[in-house]
Amino acid sequence: MVKLSIVERIDQWAMQDGERICYQEHAQNYTYSDLKKDSDALAKIIQNRWQNPLPIIVFGGLDYEMLVSFLACAKTGHAYIPLDLYTPVERIELITQVADYAGILAIAEWPIANEAKEIISYPDAYEQTADVVDLGQCVKGRDNFYIIFTSGTTGIPKGVQISHDNLASFTDWLVTDFQFPESARFLSQAPYSFDLSVMDIYPALLSGGCLVPLKKKIVGDFKQLFLELPKLALDVWVSTPSFLDICLMDAAFTAEKLPTIQCFLFCGEELTHGTAEKLQQRFPSATIYNTYGPTEATVAVTQVKITKEILEKYPRLPIGYAKADTTITVIDERNQALPAEQVGEILISGPSVSKGYLNNPEKTELAFTKYNGQPAYRTGDLGSLEQGLLFYKGRKDFQVKLHGYRIELEDIEHHLMAVDYVKLATVVPKYQEEKVQQLIAYVVPNEHTFEKEYQLTKAIKEELKKTLMDYMIPQKFVYVERLELTQNGKVNRKKLRDEVNPE
Amino acid sequence: METQDKVLAILEEITGTDEVRDNLEVELFDEGLLDSLGSVQLLVELESEFAIEVPVSEFERSEWATPQKIIEQVVRLQE
Repeated sequence: MVKLSIVERIDQWAMQDGERICYQEHAQNYTYSDLKKDSDALAKIIQNRWQNPLPIIVFGGLDYEMLVSFLACAKTGHAYIPLDLYTPVERIELITQVADYAGILAIAEWPIANEAKEIISYPDAYEQTADVVDLGQCVKGRDNFYIIFTSGTTGIPKGVQISHDNLASFTDWLVTDFQFPESARFLSQAPYSFDLSVMDIYPALLSGGCLVPLKKKIVGDFKQLFLELPKLALDVWVSTPSFLDICLMDAAFTAEKLPTIQCFLFCGEELTHGTAEKLQQRFPSATIYNTYGPTEATVAVTQVKITKEILEKYPRLPIGYAKADTTITVIDERNQALPAEQVGEILISGPSVSKGYLNNPEKTELAFTKYNGQPAYRTGDLGSLEQGLLFYKGRKDFQVKLHGYRIELEDIEHHLMAVDYVKLATVVPKYQEEKVQQLIAYVVPNEHTFEKEYQLTKAIKEELKKTLMDYMIPQKFVYVERLELTQNGKVNRKKLRDEVNPE
Repeated sequence: METQDKVLAILEEITGTDEVRDNLEVELFDEGLLDSLGSVQLLVELESEFAIEVPVSEFERSEWATPQKIIEQVVRLQE
């Protein structure tokens, strides 16, 4: 029997149980039958407009129409590039320069004035049609399913290409190895441009579950957030540990007040012992999964249940065991496998490893390789293995995770130094319990007319908002007359890092 | 007085500016000195410093918008 493609499997729910809810926002319900009908109709529009096989940019927030668009792209053989509506215009321009794309599906208004490519404003363009799309063209095998852009050291974002088979390897693992309840309600909080969202979208849709969105404007307003949470009646929680930390601030975030939650999945950054322990006490019978993986190996490749025993045994929590089709190897500088318990770079090999960065052979060459005949990715993460259980030990380079978002410090510095007020700058992370808590910019300013430093900071932040995602903008600015340079003429980061993070 | 000093020290640390000491009426959110992530950090640090519990589910930005207002909130919660 030929295995069905991901979109065909999602469509099957419409045939089997069309009235089942796949997306619920407040009183608004969408069924699997709506999802199929709407994505078929949009697929028809796409087929008529864009005959080339190039990817399609899908622009918007956490909306049902975004899911319709993703599936419509997959049905017509196009990869999609999800771009969040909060992406600054200049960053969007950088991405559009890298990506060669067919056009744009705009769920939110596309902010580029002189867009050269065709824009379909959806759902304005929606045409009711009884046509069923021929799935002969749909994305399968090595075809790209989605392309997610992530921070790059040069200031230009890199597009990670995830194929249908990469994604299928990930979702098969999630649906079989994680014990999700039947027709579960999944929290959808991560923006679609962040691949953590893939951990809720596809497991939910492939298992006949329901996605329940929690939008940014609610998350930013604690009063609304805590009013909203119990109403969502979630079964499966997917978030970064940082978002959980916000929720744990409310004493009412407990199993008693949120009795439906059975399962928590964390990814994107370190789950600290303190956070996990608090959660375990608040939800003693829920299953807590810690997972790990880079975007380049499709969301996550290791998982471990955080039990009481694990909490007692390990002061720094493990990040998991590799999924069955994947091998984790800890390697040294010469790419040789290291014995157990030694710290080295984490190398991931298996069918969920991406084919590389879109239109960027140099960066692809640096990070992607083969290992024992399997596609492999050098993560730049440091780790060690103990009887197959992986432990995280930091980074080889200047990449950090802040609230789950992956950031190259050089990316921030590149854009910071482009600001007129700035002569020289470096960005230093401040850690708390092994997690980045704050980014601090050390700046040698050019001459300026601001009376006070905080006014200068405000002006620099305004400039940065044009090029950086909001989570990349340093919280704190320190002004100095000079920055110490190393012998190579680069800013001495290590010294500042040690100053900010005394032992 | 002691409460005021401790609150201002925390605010100075989070915002990176002594403006919070010079001007107790500075609008922290409007001036970009505090955002939602910063306010999470602020609440966590106030809770541990003063052994108080901030009812976060009733958190209104407007009631925490200046150093003076934050000091008043902490004093009230300590009572």
